[in-house]
Order: sequence, then C-alpha cells, then structure tokens
Amino acid sequence: MLAASGLGFGTLALRALTHEEASAAERAAGLAPQQPHFDPRAKSVVMLVQNGGPSQMDLLDPKPELTKRAGQTMSVETFQMGNSDKLMASPLKFRKYGESGIEMSTLLPHLGSLADELCLVRSMYSEHNNHTEALVMLNTGKIFPGRPALGSWVSYGLGTENRSLPGYIVLRDPEGYNTSGTLLWQNGWLPATYRGTEVATQGTPVVNLQPATPIAPAVQRDKLDLLAKLNEEHRRQFPFDAELETRIRNYELAARMQLVAGELLDLSKESADTRKLYGLDDPETAGYGLRCLMARRLIESGVRFVQVFPPVKPQFQPWDAHGNTKTENEAICRKCDLPSAGLIRDLKQRGLLDSTIVLWSGEFGRLPVSQNGTGRDHNRNAFTAILAGGGFKPGHVHGATDEVGYRAAENRVGVPDLHATILHQLGLDHDRLTYHHHGNDETLTDSRVTEARIVKELIA
Amino acid sequence: MNTLAFRFMLLFAVLVTAMGGMVRGQDAAPPAGESGRHWSFRKVVRSVVPNVKDNGLVRSPVDAFVLAKLEERGLTFSPESDKTALIRRVSLDLIGLPPSPEEVTAFVTNDSATAYDDLLDRLLASQHFGERWGRHWLDAAGYADVMSTDNDASIIHPLENRWMYRDYVVRSLNADKPFARFLTEQIAGDELVEWRTAATYSSEIREHLIATGFLRASSDDTFAPELNKPLTQYGVLQRTGEILANNVLGLTLNCAKCHDHKYEPLTQRDYYGFLALLQPAFNPDRWLIPAQRQLPNVSAAEKTEIERGNAELDRLAGELRKQIAERRATYEAKVLATKLATLPEAIRGDTQVALATPADKRTEVQKYLADKFGTTLAVKPEEVTAALSEADKAATAEWEKQAAEHLGRKKSWQHWQVTYDGPATPTKLLKRGNHETPGEEVAPGFLAVLMNGTEVGSSRTRESSVRSLTTSATAQATSGRRLALAKWLTDRESPAAHLAVRVQVNRVWQHLFGKGLVETTDNLGVTGAKPTHPELLEWLAAEYFDNGGRLKLLVKRIMTSRVYLQTSSVAPNQTAAAQLDPDNRLLWRMRLRRLESEIVRDAVLAVSGKLDATLGGAPIAVEPRPDGTFVIPDKGLPTPTSQWRRTLYLLARRNYHPTILTVFDQPNLTTNCTGRESSAVVLQSLTMLNDRFLLEQAEHLASRVIVAAGSDTAKQIESAFRITLGRLPRDAEQAASVEFLRRQVQHYSEEKLPADQAVLKALAQVCHTLLNTSEFLYVP
Repeated sequence: MLAASGLGFGTLALRALTHEEASAAERAAGLAPQQPHFDPRAKSVVMLVQNGGPSQMDLLDPKPELTKRAGQTMSVETFQMGNSDKLMASPLKFRKYGESGIEMSTLLPHLGSLADELCLVRSMYSEHNNHTEALVMLNTGKIFPGRPALGSWVSYGLGTENRSLPGYIVLRDPEGYNTSGTLLWQNGWLPATYRGTEVATQGTPVVNLQPATPIAPAVQRDKLDLLAKLNEEHRRQFPFDAELETRIRNYELAARMQLVAGELLDLSKESADTRKLYGLDDPETAGYGLRCLMARRLIESGVRFVQVFPPVKPQFQPWDAHGNTKTENEAICRKCDLPSAGLIRDLKQRGLLDSTIVLWSGEFGRLPVSQNGTGRDHNRNAFTAILAGGGFKPGHVHGATDEVGYRAAENRVGVPDLHATILHQLGLDHDRLTYHHHGNDETLTDSRVTEARIVKELIA
Repeated sequence: MNTLAFRFMLLFAVLVTAMGGMVRGQDAAPPAGESGRHWSFRKVVRSVVPNVKDNGLVRSPVDAFVLAKLEERGLTFSPESDKTALIRRVSLDLIGLPPSPEEVTAFVTNDSATAYDDLLDRLLASQHFGERWGRHWLDAAGYADVMSTDNDASIIHPLENRWMYRDYVVRSLNADKPFARFLTEQIAGDELVEWRTAATYSSEIREHLIATGFLRASSDDTFAPELNKPLTQYGVLQRTGEILANNVLGLTLNCAKCHDHKYEPLTQRDYYGFLALLQPAFNPDRWLIPAQRQLPNVSAAEKTEIERGNAELDRLAGELRKQIAERRATYEAKVLATKLATLPEAIRGDTQVALATPADKRTEVQKYLADKFGTTLAVKPEEVTAALSEADKAATAEWEKQAAEHLGRKKSWQHWQVTYDGPATPTKLLKRGNHETPGEEVAPGFLAVLMNGTEVGSSRTRESSVRSLTTSATAQATSGRRLALAKWLTDRESPAAHLAVRVQVNRVWQHLFGKGLVETTDNLGVTGAKPTHPELLEWLAAEYFDNGGRLKLLVKRIMTSRVYLQTSSVAPNQTAAAQLDPDNRLLWRMRLRRLESEIVRDAVLAVSGKLDATLGGAPIAVEPRPDGTFVIPDKGLPTPTSQWRRTLYLLARRNYHPTILTVFDQPNLTTNCTGRESSAVVLQSLTMLNDRFLLEQAEHLASRVIVAAGSDTAKQIESAFRITLGRLPRDAEQAASVEFLRRQVQHYSEEKLPADQAVLKALAQVCHTLLNTSEFLYVP
C-alpha cells in the first residue's frame, strides 16, 4: 500500500491496483504504470497549448450573421480599453474541409486537411477574462493558482511506462516562458514527482542532467559508487524510512536519464519526410515543429502527458490579437498550423493516434466587437477547442455559439467537463481519481461544485 | 510609563487575572456548556499529567503524555540520541545551520549536568533563531517580496521596503515577544500608535506600522489598470481575511465565501462579518492600488515640511536659471543677428517673421523660407556659450552651480508597506460570493462559533462585542475594528484565543517533530485531522498561555523532553513498535526529517565556510535564465559575498524560486503555507550532483578541509566528515573514502595538474560526495 511510510503520500485512490513488478521506490518516484479504473480508450495525452486566446470567429467558428450585422452595436463584457461597441466582421476567409465539410479558416490549411480526424468543440467557455486566470483554469480546472495541473492528475492516476523519464513532460520555447510559465504544470498538493518536468529541445534536455563543470565519467562513476556505499550504510539504520531507498534509486535513475535523454535529442534517425512534416527546415515553423516532433518521440517512448507550448516571439501570448485580427492571425497561423497538423498526421501514420489524445486549445476566445480599430479583446464566454485521436469523434463539430460568436449557446462545455471527458477516455473516473488533501478528497474537476460531467457526445 | 505600555497592560490584565484563577491538574472534562462543541473550539483546560509505568523515562510532563500512549500498546521510547546527533538536531532545529566541528567537540566533551540546557540557551539566544523560526511564521503569513500574483517568470513587481516586515518578524522572535503582543502589533499596530498626527515617527511608531505589513501578504494585481476592477479588489480583501483565518485560527473560512460552510460551523454571515473587520483597510468601495496604499516613511508633518522646503529650493534654483537664461538671451540675439547678416537683405525680415510663425500657420512662402534657412539660422546653445564674455561666462557658471546645489539639497522619502484604515463603508454579504450580486448588509463581527456564551449563529452578540471593543482604539481616524479583532484573537477570555494558541502550539510541534499533533496544521476544524495526543496538545496550550506566550520557553520545554531526545534510527528494542506503529504516530522514535529547501542551501554554505551571516536588509536578486533555472546573478550584488547570504534574504517570489529551492519543495505562495512538503524526486539528486552551486561549494569545502587537516589523507577524510556530517567516519567509511581519494588524486595527477591542485580537486570530489549523502539532507 502506497500510503504507508513517510513518503508524504496521502491516500492514493488507486492503491489497491498497484503493479507488483515495480519496486516500492519506483512507485514512490512515480515511475511505474498504474491501472486505470476501467478499460481506457487512450493511454497518453499531448496538449498543444495555444495561449493568448485564439479567435474563434476568425479561425474555427464561422459567423455569417456577424458579417451581416457588422457595424451594429452590441453590449459585451470587455477586458481592456479600446473596445468599440460595434460588431466587426471577420476579415478572414473560411472554407469547408474534407468529407466532413468542417468550416475552418483558410489560414489553417494543414489542420483543415485533417478535418476528418478532428473533433471541434465550438461551445467552450471559461470563467475569467485575464490570461493567467483563464490559463490556470484550462490547466487545473479553477482560476486560482495552486491546484494540480491536468498533466499532474493524469500521471498521478496512470504513472508512466518509461522508467527512465518523468511521466509528465513540458516542452516550451527555449527563448522563454509563455504567459504564466510554470504555474501551468504545477503539482499543487500532489506529490512533487507529478510536477511537469521541463525538457529542452536543444542543449541539455533536463536542467542539471550533466555536471555544470565537466567531470570525467570515470570520476563520476567512482563517486556514485562511494555515495551508494555511504547511503546504503545510512539507510540500514532507518529500515522504515522508504524515502531513503527512493533517494538511492534516484541516483540510479539520474544515470539512466542521462543515457535516455541523449537519445531523445538525437534526431539523426528522423527521415527527410518527417522533418518536412513538422516544418523543421523552415525557420518559421522549426522551433514549434521541433517541440511537436519531440512530443511524438516522448509519446512513443511511453511518456504519459506531454504539454507543448507555442513560440514566445514576437509575443509570449501568441494568439492575443488585440491590434489587428488579420495580420496577427496570419503570422501565428504560419508558425503553428503546420507543426500541429504534422504531429496529428505523424501519430496517425504510426498507429499512435488511437491511443493518444491530442488537445489543441487556448484559454478563452475573442469578442465579436472591434478593439483598437481592427483587433479583438478577450472573451471568456466562448472559444473553440480541438480534440483528435483517443477515441474522440473524428470529423465532428460539437456545440455552437450564438449568432455572432459571443457566447457558447448550444451544448455548452466548461473546462471541468472537458477535463472529465479526457480522464474518462484514459480510463479514469474523474470522481474516483482523488487525493486526500487537508480533510477533503480532492479531485481535478471538483464536480460537487462545478457539476462537471463527461461529454458523451464527443466520444466515438 | 508610556501610553503604549499602558495599553498593553490593559490588554493583558484580563489574561493575568485568568492565569491567577487557573487550577492546575483539573480534570480535562470540558467546562459546562462546551461539551457540544468541537474540541478545538472549547477553552483550553490543562490536562492531568497521566501516570506511567516507567517513571524513569519521564524527563518532563510532555513525556508522560506520549509514554502513557506507548505503554497502552506495550511500547516504550527509543534510547536517547548520542550527543553528536543531538547537537546536530538541535542546531538545525533552532538556527537552521549545522554545528561546527568545534561546537560538536565542546558539547560532546562537556560532562556538566547543564551541558544540554546550556546548548539550548546558547542557540535560543542566537540571532539566527529569529531567522529560522521567522521563516516558519513568514510561511504561515504568506510573505513574499512581490505584490502581484507573480505570473510571469521574467516580470517582477517588487514592493518598496516590503522586506522590513520580514526583518520585523526576525527581530520580534529574537526578542521573544509574547505571542499576544506579536500578533496584536501585526494586526493592528497602526491602531495602537498615533501616527497620523505625530510630528515625527518614533521608533515605536515605526515598529508598529511596519508590523502591519503582516496583512499585506495577499497578492494584489490592481496595479495593472485592466485588473484594477472589483473582482480583483474583492479578491485582495477576501484573501487577506482567508489567510489570516487560516494562519491564526487554522480554519478553512474560505469555504464560507459562497455559502455556509458545508462541514464547519461557519456561516456565510460569519465570513462577511469577519471581512468587515478588515474592510476599512482594504475597501473595494474606495480602493487604493499598491502605489497609493504604501505610506511615506516620514510623518505627514515632516512630509509637508519636506515638500515646502523642496518647493523653496526649486524656486531658488528656478530664479537662478531664469537669470542665466536672461543673460544668455542677449547673446543669443547677437548670434542670430550675425547669422541673419549672411542672408540677402531683401529677405531677412521675411525670414525672421517666417521663423517666428508657428509651423502650422505659415504661408507657402514662409514654409519655403523656414525650410531653406531654418537650420542655418538656428542658434545652438554652444554658440551662445562661446559668445559669452569672460565675466558673463563666470557669472552664469556660478549661478548654475548654486542652482545645482539648491536642487541637490532637496529631500525625498521612501515608502513602507503597511496597513491602515480609510473610511468604512457598509459590508454586504455577496450571494454565491459574487460581488455583482450583493445581498444584505453585514455588521463587523467575529466568528460566532468562537464567541462566549452564544449559540452558533447568534449574530447580535458577536456584533455588539465588536462595537464594545472598537472604542478602545486610541489612534484617531481609524475604525478600531482590527484592534478588536486582535483582542478577540489574544484575550484569554475569548475562545478564539484558545484556538489560536492550539494552532501555534501544534505548529511548533510540527517544526520539531515533522508532523503536528494534529497533522493538518492548517485545519483544526471539524474536517481537520484528529489529534494523535489530544491531552498533550491541551497541556502545551495551557503551558503557552501560562508562560505568557513566550515561544522560546515553549520550544525549550519541548526540546528538553525525552520524546525529543530519542533516536530517529530504529533501535534493536523497537522491532515490535515498528510493526505495531510503522508510521510512528505514537512517537516511539524521533522522526527523520528532511531539511527544508532553504536549510539545504544554508547548510551547504555553512559547511563550505562561505556563508555570509549578515542579518536583514533588502533582498538579494534572483533572476531567470533562458534554460529555465533561477539563480542569483553574478553581477550587481551589494557585496561579493552577498551571493552566499542566508536563503531567507533572497528575493521571495510567489512562484519562481531559485532552482535549488524549487526542487527541494519550496512552496508556491499563492496564499500561505503552514506545513512544508518533503519529497524525494530525481531532480533533487540531479541538482546535488551536477548544479554549479554544489560543485563550487564542494571546492570551497575542500579548501577548508585542507586548512583544517593539512596534507595527511586520513586526517583530511576525518575532517571532511566532521565538517559535513558532524561526526567521524566509521572504519568502513574511512577505508572506502581514503581509497577513493587516492584514486582521485591519481586521476587528477594524470591530468597533469600540479600536486596541490590534484589534491584539492580530488578532495572536492570527496566533499561533493558527502554533500550528496542522505545523511547530510536529514535532521538526524
């Protein structure tokens, strides 16, 4: 039973279902697979965070009525200064894609070409109009920082199948953090082992994976041997402090990680076709493309949850088009469309898409009225999320906004509903995946308060 | 006696009276009328010290409570720790630094009966005590140096002089201020001193104002115009109240924001009545953004005087500069005349008129003239200067010098981050916690469940209690509500004070034993954990009341118990205990506790000999690096050794800590934290093994070892163990380490390093290995 010993573990909901082949220490380090509650449709997740607030009515949710009513006044909940009260037609074009005929922007030809694989949720809504709160909500279910992220819950619930890598890996732009940075892969009050681990796509993949000043490998090995002797001698005095055993194993794991991480960054075996698929040879798409490719490699090697972030330049909330809906969206779509699609296509051709959930989503949407002349302000009342693989309905559109795209109107899906559904596809019951924290059996979705439900209509 | 002391005397009069009436050794049955209450909402009654079979093991009444429970299961204490382990434990617990080899030797060889007491007294008197225990309080209070929610790694929103509150806490703990006074100063210091009308701020006023930085812990994003909205403003007020209730009362009051608490006897009216106590200071109806909320560090009278003086200096400088300008104007005209003379006479006048006409009013001809001749005719300042006569050159230079002197004499002031009342406006109950749907008005009130002689929910009494207490605030223009709150939380007649004392005692126990007697240190309510030793908790609470709320006395009381002295390793006599109680809930041995993140770093610095033990002051910068790490920058530090200050003095952000701290579970201070987590994740091993800081400090440690031990290999190993782990190596350890050192020296010699460098590098590998041991990371 995991709850035993001084590991700082609370009551693990899955304690009856532990794997025998993994040692207690490995389980404590989160390095063993855990059984789900029921047969899963998927076993891993890639979350493509598209932060800044992608514009639904310009990219994913066409609104002919908005074009007709352009210039009419409408009272809306604004966030920043500079909003007019006049509806603004989308300056961008939509077209029907694939057999399913899903309408998406002509700025998204690559995702569009996969329309028959995608499940669009056009009736998403959030609870806050500021980036941080909404991003924290997208990732943890509530607007206040401090709760565990979706990735932490998933790796807590399912563990990892790769004993040399953490179960929850974050791939961000090496140039910097996107808005709200590390708040978005927090473990909250779950054990620290479920915190997202940043893996860099260039240089040293994990912080402190190699000595800051070179030490000859033979010296390092000799040192680790001496350390093992000293630690083992110490551990023998404390047979009931399993944490000491974990600590000893961690030094072994560190050595394994050094080996595995080196292979991880070695792209020499990737074909020219693959490089093209992710846009690695085009400076516009190379950075984000490399992270998408790395996500596929991590999923292949058994990592449970990979969170990918978009470029931080020219701005660290890349979809935040306050000034010019047309030009700003053209710029970011050029960077993000091809690699996102490349990942889905690559997973599909490798037979991994069935077992991998891909979630493409921003934290909120944008307003139907104009801001600063040609831009749009934040809108928590409606946005579109894209799901692919993992047993979600392909070529499907769920829900609808009102006539001008201001508010999710039909079959509304809140962030906790989305979380509940993702857990469900992974074989986890969002009400049973609990962690005992200060008197409460906490869950990701807190359905007693949020009334989160599984959105069955999304499931194939 | 000054007025302040008099007020405190009044404040404690009740407490002293109550103490006189205490009857020791009474039965612990709840007083009449309290039996229906949750245990922690009752008045503290000193428990009867239980009888035990093995009286020889009882060094203090604390032991009797623990031993009695052990004996019920047929168990007993573990043996006492040896003295080397003991001094390490005590040093880490009291000052957060490992003992030096000299201190260990002095203690181990001291056979005096008072050796242990003397050791405790020395460490309790150390300035580092306040740093160590101040950190505990700052965690619970939610202290950070930044004002915002701290969302973005590269953006820091500092609060000017915020650190002064941190130093106040350290100072107060070192002075062992009675808890009631410590808390009262922090909640209502501004209401106890007459700062608004003071001619100057005395040190007493300064201390009382700075103390109120306590209530400024909530993140506040209203500095950003788009977030300076009711939702954010109410958020600050609500978080301030929730952190306070959590820190001081161990209650989850936050759950009563939207509706009556589902599990605790806390109503939504309780919540808003409690917030009303703070609302005059954090009033969404009259919101002050942080830049408006901060207070000049000079009195209003001094500020007026400074402003008057500055205006006078501005005036004097202005006159001198006007004089200079006038003198130069005559020369400027001459220079211009000379330049004009170069134009054909026919267009001179027209060009002059064109240039004198504003650009947007010029005719086409004037535009042409201005464009063509404007640049040539423009008189540059240096041309005027060159034209000045020697006498005027000297005169204007002298006037400029005088003007600069006047301006240089202007005074400015800094700001303090404090709490004070503005005008009160009615507090409304917010339906579903939403400020857009205000409900009925709620008067300021205490939590009904913690009121004397009231049934739960009887709001009339609690509100009139606030009214009767608010009149005692002596400072003008303040509501007195926070002073009333402080009295309710500290007056021994008030049930809230009894809960507050339990919360404190429980946390002290946690800091010394790794877990609280109630494991949920932030929740002593109905939904909190049950105490493992309820009678002991009551006894300690009574003890803390009776000793006047002196933390050092309480800490010493616990540390002189046999429970605290026992070994953390599993002794041969304890196999039965280990089977019956593997989690050690009954305390049959000391718990092995991993060092908190700050102490890991501080201990490394202490053993390397590089620790800069300077006390207090502005925080040391921490900056993000592109690789995602956060480190102390190489440049721009106050002194070369500032990079090695104690961790308490590094910039305290909410979410972005130096990497070495993050991996060792430094909490994110979204709100506050009453108990640290302790994990063992692989990033800790990677950090200890590969991080630059560790590698550098290992070399410093190696240099220290060579100074201490000379060139003898065996002595070097002994010295490295003594400095790092506080003990001599065992035979096997000594042999393995000597062998390792020999191989490493050989390796570095083969790398063509000079002999002394090879030894230093090789020894650094030994030292680095010792810093990586589990033993180094744990309080023994």
